Parts: sequence; C-alpha cells; structure tokens
Amino acid sequence: MKRKKGSLGRSELTRRAFLKVAGATGAGALGFQILIPKARGARKDQIVFVSEESNPKAIAVYEKINADFERNTGIKVVMEYPGFANIHKRVATLIAAGTPPEIVWYGAGQAMNLALEDQLAEVGDVIKEVGGIPDSLRMIYKGADRSIPTSQQFTYCWYRKDLYQQKGLLPFKSWEEFLHVAKTLNNPPTLYGCIVPSAETGASTILLETLFMSNDVHWFEWNPSKRQYEVALDKGENKKRAIETLDYLYELHKYSPEASTYNWAELMSTFVTEKAATSYYVGARLLEQVMANNARIADVTMPLAFPKRLTDHYFLSIQGFHILRQSNVEGAKQYCKFFLKHPDCIKWYHAVPLHIIPASREVLLSSRYQDHPVIQKRMDVLRFLDAIWGRGVPLYYWDGKELNSLIGLYHNDNLGGWMVAMRNIKGMKSDTIVDEAANQIRKKMQKMG
Amino acid sequence: MKEYAQNKLWIVGTTVPALLFLTLMAYLPITYAVALSFFKKSAFSPTMSWTGLKNYFLLLREADLWAALGRSTFFTVGSVAVQIVWGLGVALLLNRTFRGQTFVRSLFILPYLLPTIVVALVFQWLLNQEYGVLNQILLQIGLFRQPINFIGGLKTAMYSVIGVASWQYGSFVALMVLARLQAIPAKLYEAARVCGAGSVRCFWDVTLPNLRTTLLLLALLRGIWMFNKFDIIYLVTRGGPLKATETLPIYAYRLAFEEFDFGLAAGVCTFMFLVLLIGSVIYFKLFDPTKEIEVGR
Repeated sequence: MKRKKGSLGRSELTRRAFLKVAGATGAGALGFQILIPKARGARKDQIVFVSEESNPKAIAVYEKINADFERNTGIKVVMEYPGFANIHKRVATLIAAGTPPEIVWYGAGQAMNLALEDQLAEVGDVIKEVGGIPDSLRMIYKGADRSIPTSQQFTYCWYRKDLYQQKGLLPFKSWEEFLHVAKTLNNPPTLYGCIVPSAETGASTILLETLFMSNDVHWFEWNPSKRQYEVALDKGENKKRAIETLDYLYELHKYSPEASTYNWAELMSTFVTEKAATSYYVGARLLEQVMANNARIADVTMPLAFPKRLTDHYFLSIQGFHILRQSNVEGAKQYCKFFLKHPDCIKWYHAVPLHIIPASREVLLSSRYQDHPVIQKRMDVLRFLDAIWGRGVPLYYWDGKELNSLIGLYHNDNLGGWMVAMRNIKGMKSDTIVDEAANQIRKKMQKMG
Repeated sequence: MKEYAQNKLWIVGTTVPALLFLTLMAYLPITYAVALSFFKKSAFSPTMSWTGLKNYFLLLREADLWAALGRSTFFTVGSVAVQIVWGLGVALLLNRTFRGQTFVRSLFILPYLLPTIVVALVFQWLLNQEYGVLNQILLQIGLFRQPINFIGGLKTAMYSVIGVASWQYGSFVALMVLARLQAIPAKLYEAARVCGAGSVRCFWDVTLPNLRTTLLLLALLRGIWMFNKFDIIYLVTRGGPLKATETLPIYAYRLAFEEFDFGLAAGVCTFMFLVLLIGSVIYFKLFDPTKEIEVGR
C-alpha cells in the first residue's frame, strides 16, 4: 500500500504493523511486570534498606556509611525513608508486592508483626559478632533472634523547673503528687498543668501502657499448661487496677488541654510554646525542639521519671535492624555488621543527642559518646537516663518471661489510646471500657485463628 | 471490498489503543480491586487465598461499616449543600459588573487551585484549639471563655471538615454557576422587569429555573466526588476523634493500611461503588438530567 499524499497516513497501518505494535506493547508490559520483582530482593549486588529515620543528620551518616560499604563490598545500598508514620505501610506494601526489602530499621515491637508472618530471618550470628546484647533487648521468635538492636528510647516526663519553683512545687514521685502539681499549675487557656493526649494515637497509647506498667496492669497472662498467652485485662485485681488507671488519667485530664487529636508533635509543640508545665516523650527529641525553637526555657526543661504506683517500670522502645527472610539475607547481614562496627556509627547516635540511646550501657557511658556539645551541656539528662536504666520493659516482655507475640493486637491498633479517649472524651465508664477492650483483643485473636 | 477492509482496519487500529489504555489504566485495576474482595489477603504476605463472599458477610455484620456509611452520607449531603449555597451566592455576586472584576473572580477561584495539603494545614492552624486565630478572635470578643476544640471535638469535627471541604470546593460550583449565569439572555430579565418583577422575583422566576440544570448536574457530580473524598478529611482529622469523621474511604484505608487486611478493604471499596451506583440510578430516575438539559437549552 502506498501512502496517499495529504492523507492522515492511514495507508501505513497494515495488519502486520498493527500486530507488531500490539505485540511489542504487550511484551513490554509483561516484561515490566516480570522485571519488577527481580529489581528487588533477588539481586546480590544491591540491598534495599527501609529506615524510619527522618533526621537529616542521621541520614547524612547513613549516606557516608553506605558509600564506604559499597566501596568495600561492591554492594549498593538503596535507601528509603518513608517516615515514622508510614514505614509500616511501606514495608507491608513491598512484601505484598513480592519485593521485600532486605533491611527494615524500626521498633522491634512493630517488627513483631513481620516475625509472626514468618518474614524475618534469624540474626543470632550477627548479634554474636557485634558483641552481643542484654537479654532484655532480645526479640526471640521460634527460638531464634529476629532483631539486631541498635538503640533504645526511654519514656519519661519533661517539666518546667521554673514554674514548679515559682509555686514551691517539687518534682512529683507518686500519682497523687503528679495530680497535685498539675492542679496547682493549671491556668487555662494560658497554661495547662499537664498533657493527657486522649486520642487513638501512639502518644496516647504509650501513656496508658506506661501507666499500666506503673500500676502493674497486665494485658495478658501466661498459661503454662497451654503454653500460650491469654487475655487478662478484664480479670480480677488486674481489672481493678486497669479501671483505677483510667480513672486517674480522667482526673489528670482535667488539667490538660482536651487533646483529642494529640500525638507526638502536639506533645512537643504545646510544651515548647509554654502552654504546658509538664509533658512527656519517648526520648529527648522534646528537649531538642525546645533548644531549637524556644531556647529561653531550654535550661529549665528537666527530665523526670513517670510517677510510681506499684512498680517503677515504663514503656521501653527498642529499635533495630530487621532482615527480611525472602531477600538478599547475606548482603543484609554483611551491611548490619559493617554499620555497627563503623567508626561513624557514634555520629548516628549523636544525630539527636540523648534521644536515641545506644543499646549498650558501656557505649552510653563512654567518652566517645559523651563527646558532644549538647551532651556535655546536659549531663544531667545523661545521668537521669543512667539512673532509670534497666527499669524500662519492652511491651513483649511485660506480661511474662516468654515473648508475647500478641502485643500487636492492642499496641499497633492504638487500643490504649482508644481507651483513654473513650474515658476522657466520650465519658464512658472505665469498667465498660476495660471489658470492651479485652473483648476487642479476643475478637482479633479469634480472627487470627 | 478493499476500501471496506481498510476502513475497518482503520477503525480497529484507532480504537484498540484507546481501549487498551482504558483497560490497563481503569478496568484492570477496578476488576482487580473487586476480585481482591473475594480473597483473604494480608499485607505481609504476597499470597492470597480464595474466601468467596466471606469478606462481605464479615463486613455487613460490622457496625463500623454502617456507621461509616452514615457519616459518608452526612458529609456528602452537608458539604454539597453548603458548596451549592456558597457557590451560588458567590456566583451571583461575581456576575455583577464592577471594577477589578477579573481580579476578584480569580481570587474566588483560588481555593480550588490550592493543593489540598495546603488547605488542610492552614485550617488546622486556623481552627487549632490552643493557637488558632478563630479561637483567639472568639475569646477576645468575649463570645466564649474557653477555646473551642473545632477539629478535635466529637460534636464539632464533622462540621469543621464539612466547612473546610466546602470552602475549597465551593469555588468550583461558583465557577460553573457563573458560566451559566452569563449565558442567561438579558431579555428575560428585561421582560420580567417590564412585568413589574423586583430583584427577588427575578431570581426565583428567571435565574433559578435557568440554573436548575447546572445545579442538578453539580449536585450529582459533587455528590459523587464528595462521597469518595479521602484527602481533605484524612489530612484534617485522620478520621477522628474516636471515628467521628471516619467516612467509608477512610474506613477502607484503615482496614488496608492499619489493619493490613487488603481483602476486607477491597470489599469496602466495592460496597462504596455499589452505593454510588444505586444512588446514581435513583438520581437519574428522579431528576433525569438529560431531559433537563433539553429543557435548559
């Protein structure tokens, strides 16, 4: 067929040409689909590392160590930083797509979900090679270590020393003292005595989990005959203490902003803008924000342990490397060892000074860790951290010596936050809330089979 | 015969790429999403297992689904009503001739052009309980003694979200209505005035009947868009407090990315699709916009 002059060129479209184009398009689309899974995981010369990190200083350290790693091993490290709020979704999506990353760095509690789905590789050999870790930081599933702890974060309060002193108040040690301090300092809307976030958020959840620990409330109990954990929240004395804790938070909430949308950022911003006399955080990022945004109150921002009731325990967050089983496991293990032995690893801890605490106490007390201007200036914080060292308990060891793989059923869904919100915002009775929460967990257990 | 074959090839050759594109970009994902609702699919495993209608049985027994449907309906009806009233009012004002008309018109269109994240952040600050400008004004003029928790209050959150969404999308309604207003022949108003009609009578007897078609179509389109609306609600309240603003899209998102159950989430999406389909059929039966368009010409 010859092309007619001035035509739109339709004479060029032969059946053969059409089939060629259609075939090429189809093959291209199919090839693309086939190539995607191979682009990840199966490659030995590359590892994909998804990190919770969002701090530019820490990211710079990653880049430096990654470049050294690539030079040494020829393995390229592809980084992803989906952020604290999105990392779980990102990892889940990658696994669902059949392209699991090699390494995920985030909380061991979050990683528990991956362990339960048999997605995590055994990493005992890596832990051994980098010098071992205390038993309390180990995450063992099916008899093997599944997490390489790098760091930990303690949960504690921050208070305004100047405001306390003006009213002749001392740092609180008991629940009653905390309530008294919050009440005395409360002068809304100028200043609130404390902050009790009452929302289905992580901040609210961890507050309740820490106060439950303080009041010796357990979500589960170990049944030795069945060798499994069973829901205990709504049973006997445990239930009484759970109700007492919720009622206490309800009282405390009277001296707090309503906080029905509060999460971590609001805990910091309300304190930094001098709207609250007492706040709390998991780590020292709050202090960093005070220093950066309202240096005037930095020197009077002091750390303080959560008040004691029956125990002096608190929620301990442990972060670490987690290696996905169906990925380039050997490359990932090589990277983790390289990272932890790298001299710049200490700079990574310094990215937010005193916030991400080394897994090892020896490192915390070492001169190379303390050799940082902020740490030097706030040695009181370091001493405070050392004083409460060891009192923190990871959630998965709170209910017994056996690792509790069921914590995700209440922790990941922010059930604690829901309980606080139902009490403080909706006004539901604590008794009903505890029953309902326990039933929700049982329902999820049934759904899991 | 050869001419016929060439023509046929031409038709096939030009239609197939478009169909292929549509299939790849629209029909395939929709089919996949519907198919997914018949499987158990956890986010942590690439494998999926057939469960038939189990996801639907589970969902239909779930109180959260019906509560979310109620909230979706409330949000849709509320925000569409506000958008139409607001859009109509703005369009009537902008239809007048005045100095700087073009500049003022573009100002009113601005909210629609703003990225949703910007709108969400601005309103989060404006309505903030502790630092919000609105609360500061209300406190300073002595209307309230304590700040109002607009976004975090159980009773106020939904209204706040409706307000924010209407502020942003009302401009679209204003734009459409303004275009239709300018097409109404001036002689209709002249005739009405000759008959002694004032401004209000002109509005009821001339303007509104001429806008009827546009308003009906806007109600349908905005209704569908608002029913599916995810971004503005999620960015402002994340569905809270205590699920007070958890509409169906946010419920589906929660199931998929917080409870990691893709199968159930796909079930909710299919349910939403069916609700909209039924709603649209009823709407077309009641109002028959095609007929309205004929009348409106």
